[in-house]
Amino acid sequence: MKLTELVQKLNLGVRSAKGSLERRITGGYASDLLSDVLAHSKEGDLWITLQIHHNIVAVASMKDLAGIVLVNGREPEQETIEKAETENIVIMVSELPTFELAGRLYGLGVRGMK
Amino acid sequence: MRKVRADLHLHTCLSPCGDGEMRATAIVKQACQVGLDMIGICDHNSAENVSAVMKAGVREGLAVIPGIEVTSQEEVHILGLFRTERDLMHLQDMVYENLPGENDEQAFGPQLVVDEWDRVVGTNRKLLIGATTLTVEQIVEAIHRHRGLAIAAHIDRERFSLIGQLGFIPKGLELDALEVSRPSSAKRDYDYPMVTFSDAHLLEDIGKSPTCFVVEEPSFGEIEKALHCEGQRRIVTGKMEDLSLHILDIAENSISASAGRIVIRIDEDQANNLLTIEITDDGRGMDEETLKKALDPFFTTRTTRRVGLGLSLLAQAARQSDGKFDLSSVPDEGTTVKATFRLSHPDCKPMGDIGETIRTLVTAHPEIDFLYEHKKDNSTYRFDTRETDKK
Repeated sequence: MKLTELVQKLNLGVRSAKGSLERRITGGYASDLLSDVLAHSKEGDLWITLQIHHNIVAVASMKDLAGIVLVNGREPEQETIEKAETENIVIMVSELPTFELAGRLYGLGVRGMK
Repeated sequence: MRKVRADLHLHTCLSPCGDGEMRATAIVKQACQVGLDMIGICDHNSAENVSAVMKAGVREGLAVIPGIEVTSQEEVHILGLFRTERDLMHLQDMVYENLPGENDEQAFGPQLVVDEWDRVVGTNRKLLIGATTLTVEQIVEAIHRHRGLAIAAHIDRERFSLIGQLGFIPKGLELDALEVSRPSSAKRDYDYPMVTFSDAHLLEDIGKSPTCFVVEEPSFGEIEKALHCEGQRRIVTGKMEDLSLHILDIAENSISASAGRIVIRIDEDQANNLLTIEITDDGRGMDEETLKKALDPFFTTRTTRRVGLGLSLLAQAARQSDGKFDLSSVPDEGTTVKATFRLSHPDCKPMGDIGETIRTLVTAHPEIDFLYEHKKDNSTYRFDTRETDKK
């Protein structure tokens, strides 16, 4: 599924790298420990987190994640947005909490494990 | 210069997770007993017990650095150590303005404010266990604005650590040091000075993994200089129980005893499986009564505490490796300390950086003559300051 479809279906706000919304997501991962995301997420994953520090961009870039969704209505810091533009990382925002968002993604066919 | 053992990350009963016995006088007494020269008080998001511990420190003759452990919005713990209590209070104001919630004693524990005699004088109602709305960057900047030192706490743990929460150290974050909870974790290479502190929440954990600094005196200014490698000041790398550091301690004893010449002889005799360390000075010496007391680790008159400790630690190190310890002294003539070790003994401590010890002594005390003789099997290295720059 492409990021554009998700943005539409889940009513997500897009905060950076609008040009990369055509990317296809191949899985999902939810965690707020960046060390854990570095260790366990997979390329092409959509990552759900509430962390808004600019290190999330570096993690997404390093692991080649498809995009980041910030939950609970949290907004990225300005520095995070700037870094995401440079690194071409899509940051989206949702009013939903992690549990709810992950459930809806699962309902749309996104899986965390093969 | 001297060796200062510092444990700069201690909690008090103000931290909801801190044990009820962690009160001003109790902490200071315990710190003295385990041979620390300096402590720092860093409760979670509050500094209301710092003043009591500092007063107890003044009374008992122990250096206490005012500090705080702030939780960032990313749930990263950052230690702030300060030059004065006033600077710290400015930071506390900022933390309080950005710390939501109220404590639930049932769930998290009481947050007791005490005086210097360990009497409870109040309770803090804020949710100290919670996170502030401040970012890591904002906290580090604020600590520096108030002339403090910012140290990322226990980065080798997953919970509440900079590395655990944020994956790696954010680029450009101007930390003064990184704290690890286990000395073994300090081996990893970072671009920051590494320190180990106990993060004690219980009395018996105080001093469990202190950091040794080679500085002029136990003070904030000196620690700051050591972290920034100013002058000859430094953090002692490697294990603090290295024999070279014991030698530094003993030589400093000689200097406090007004020695004019200090002779350090080391003999590593592999053939006989024997290591001998002998330090002789021409200082004021000790009478028999003082001599007896000198080996008691709790020989703690305020000015001589370190003397007793240095000797007893070396004696202990020698005995642990099946060696002997001998102390002889004549008033007004000088003192000789001799310790032997069995080289093959598993508990024989490593020599460590003896070159650095000698360099520290010689450069810090140009007025004193040093003779350093190091025999290794059949070859001997000799360095005598009388033969070098005394013109």
